[in-house]
Amino acid sequence: MSRRLFGTVAVALALAVAACGKGSDDGGGASGGDIKTGPGATKDAITLGYLPDLSGVFAPNGKSMMEGANLYWDAKNKNGGICGRQIKLSTQDTGYDPQKAVAAYQQMSGDVIGLGLVLGSSITSALLPSVKQDGMFLNFAGWTSDILPNENVAIAGTTYDIEAINAVDFLMHEKGIKEGDTIGHLYFEGDYGENALKGSKYAADKHGLKIVEQKITPAETDMTGQVSAFRRAKVKAILFSAAPPQAASLAGIAAAQKLDVPIVANGPGWTPQLLTTPAAGALAANYYVVSSMAPLGLDTDGVKKFLDAYEQKYPKGTPSSNGSLYAYAGAEIADAALTKACENKDLTRKGVLDALHSLDGLDTGGVVAGKLNFTDPAQPPSRLVYIAKVSKDAPGGLEPLGDAQTAADAEAYAF
Amino acid sequence: VSRLLRGGLVAGVAVLLAALPIYLESFWLQTGLFAMGAVIAAIGLTLLVGVAGQLSLGHAFFVAVGAYGYSYLAGQEVPGADAPAGLGLPPVLALLGAVALAGLAGALFSPIAGRVRGIYLGLASLGLVFIGQHILQNATGITGGYEGVAVEPFRVFGFSFSNTDPDDLTILGVPYGQLERLWYLGLVLAAVAIWYGRNLVRSRPGRALAAVRDGEIAAAVMGVDVVRYRAAAFTVSSMYAGLGGVLTALAFGRIVPESFGFLLSVDYLVMIVIGGAGSVGGAAAGAVFVTALPLVLNHYSGSLPLLAEPGSGGVGASEFSRFVYGAAIVAVLLFARDGLAGLARRARRSPEVKERLA
Repeated sequence: MSRRLFGTVAVALALAVAACGKGSDDGGGASGGDIKTGPGATKDAITLGYLPDLSGVFAPNGKSMMEGANLYWDAKNKNGGICGRQIKLSTQDTGYDPQKAVAAYQQMSGDVIGLGLVLGSSITSALLPSVKQDGMFLNFAGWTSDILPNENVAIAGTTYDIEAINAVDFLMHEKGIKEGDTIGHLYFEGDYGENALKGSKYAADKHGLKIVEQKITPAETDMTGQVSAFRRAKVKAILFSAAPPQAASLAGIAAAQKLDVPIVANGPGWTPQLLTTPAAGALAANYYVVSSMAPLGLDTDGVKKFLDAYEQKYPKGTPSSNGSLYAYAGAEIADAALTKACENKDLTRKGVLDALHSLDGLDTGGVVAGKLNFTDPAQPPSRLVYIAKVSKDAPGGLEPLGDAQTAADAEAYAF
Repeated sequence: VSRLLRGGLVAGVAVLLAALPIYLESFWLQTGLFAMGAVIAAIGLTLLVGVAGQLSLGHAFFVAVGAYGYSYLAGQEVPGADAPAGLGLPPVLALLGAVALAGLAGALFSPIAGRVRGIYLGLASLGLVFIGQHILQNATGITGGYEGVAVEPFRVFGFSFSNTDPDDLTILGVPYGQLERLWYLGLVLAAVAIWYGRNLVRSRPGRALAAVRDGEIAAAVMGVDVVRYRAAAFTVSSMYAGLGGVLTALAFGRIVPESFGFLLSVDYLVMIVIGGAGSVGGAAAGAVFVTALPLVLNHYSGSLPLLAEPGSGGVGASEFSRFVYGAAIVAVLLFARDGLAGLARRARRSPEVKERLA
């Protein structure tokens, strides 16, 4: 008996001491041709990490995002890739759970050059210490200015607070809201809603408007109480920074209670599926969306190219501005940074990060509003937005009102 | 001889576990650290639910108190920055303080625990999780709100459990960074938690708690102060949760409110049910199973047959791990009501029984 025991211990000790286990080969600093490469880049491939939510609360959006990403990179690889290298995606589901995300990151971090997409600001917050240490870039699938300034994070377009300032400006110029009026703001607790509220408060302060706040959590989907509160406060318009289920309820109940005022939403407040709900009529009458992601009805090269490719690859799918189109645009930004890094002959993580911060005037063909400027990590790459009206006939259910634009207030706004 | 054997086995396992950071990739270390944090907290819950018979759905709240308590007590004040405040205590004191804080929270809740029983206590404690989430989201001066708060690395006698100080620590050719160093802290804390838990269950107070669970009047007749013991069970369980929270926070490096929601409470209940309620070893095994399963399945999603690549549609690794998780609970409830611990007991006993019958 005890002989077996000592055998076990001896084997264990031997294993422990004889170790020359992992480590040592970190793959960094190698060179392929005359181009410097590091983790995530080899002679013939570049690997990007993707951390969407495919099984949690944002799973539908996450799956839509992966469609957009696959669409872009498949086409890119068919045309020879970047720098003569094929782009590989290392995708791990986070389930919108920070613990899963951190573990997934630890798993992929040695093999990727950067993160092509991370969904969720709490997940991004949880990952940031490691991302910073590893010195890679992170394409943040969210638009909150609270994450700025940050060397590692790239946002596609402008932030929620700027969207809200533009929404107020739109209401004042197009919808007859004037000084002294009251407007309601329905928003989510957390980064998205509270960031938008910052913007609406700033604009309201400037123009002597009164904001009636209604804060909700994503679990609340019946907006009866909120509509009543807005009615009592006699609001002339409603700003909306929540999700599509709340949008359907808000528009439907407001119409039923004869609260006939314009509703202006941030980008995440819209999905084309809303047009299949009973609230479709109410939405078409009063609902507007302000976002730096293009409405799918926009007539520009980038958007048309995306729609054509999308319909070919996913004939049964539904393209969406802040799902597949966003990930498509995010891939385009990563592509630009990698291409630039290749020109600089430096495909290390630092090389890519430097290349990203040298991008100025990046044109996505209208997919993201305006020309993107990533040189200042303290600013979003653009302050332009698209304003669109819900329409049953337009692709994606949104008909753009004019070109990319921004209000003077938004230009002057400091984070 | 059997005592010597046991001691030797424990030593062998300890040496093996201590050697693991030399071999394991950072993914496994990270998963292991999360599992160790869960082991400690799950032992606390099994003491409360399995031994003392008080159902709690509020365990995630006490874990959060430990995690945020540590980050607040140990956090350094950064002048000028609008980062959440911290008291800047030495990390060892902060760890003890966080555990004490969680214990205090448990003690404060115990009068309610003394009044309601069974499923009603479960619902009452559930309220704690939602109150906790509200506080974590809104007390931004301490918790950082939805952005979370960075966790000060653990330090003891000038040795930091992070990537620096001492910088470039290398053992047997393997660089020892934050995860490798934390591994040992986790091992020590988990070992102490298991040792203390096992002793508690077998001691006089442990038997008193079991007596309260099985019949309060009978226990009172035997001279057990029922109210005091019920309160003590809640306090000790919360302290375990707090310690688990501290280790989880250290493993994360930055904590956000989403990590401490209602689902975490449910996960802990599943851990102790799978492990066998009331068994310390079972809770530890259940914690490792429930924590590691989704992460490991995700890890191998590329090489497992029949599972779809993430993003391609079809049943992916994360959906699959949910199925396994659900199936495991159903299987345990159907075939092994006393959980993994009961299975182990039966496996141990059966040869002897067979011998005696022969």
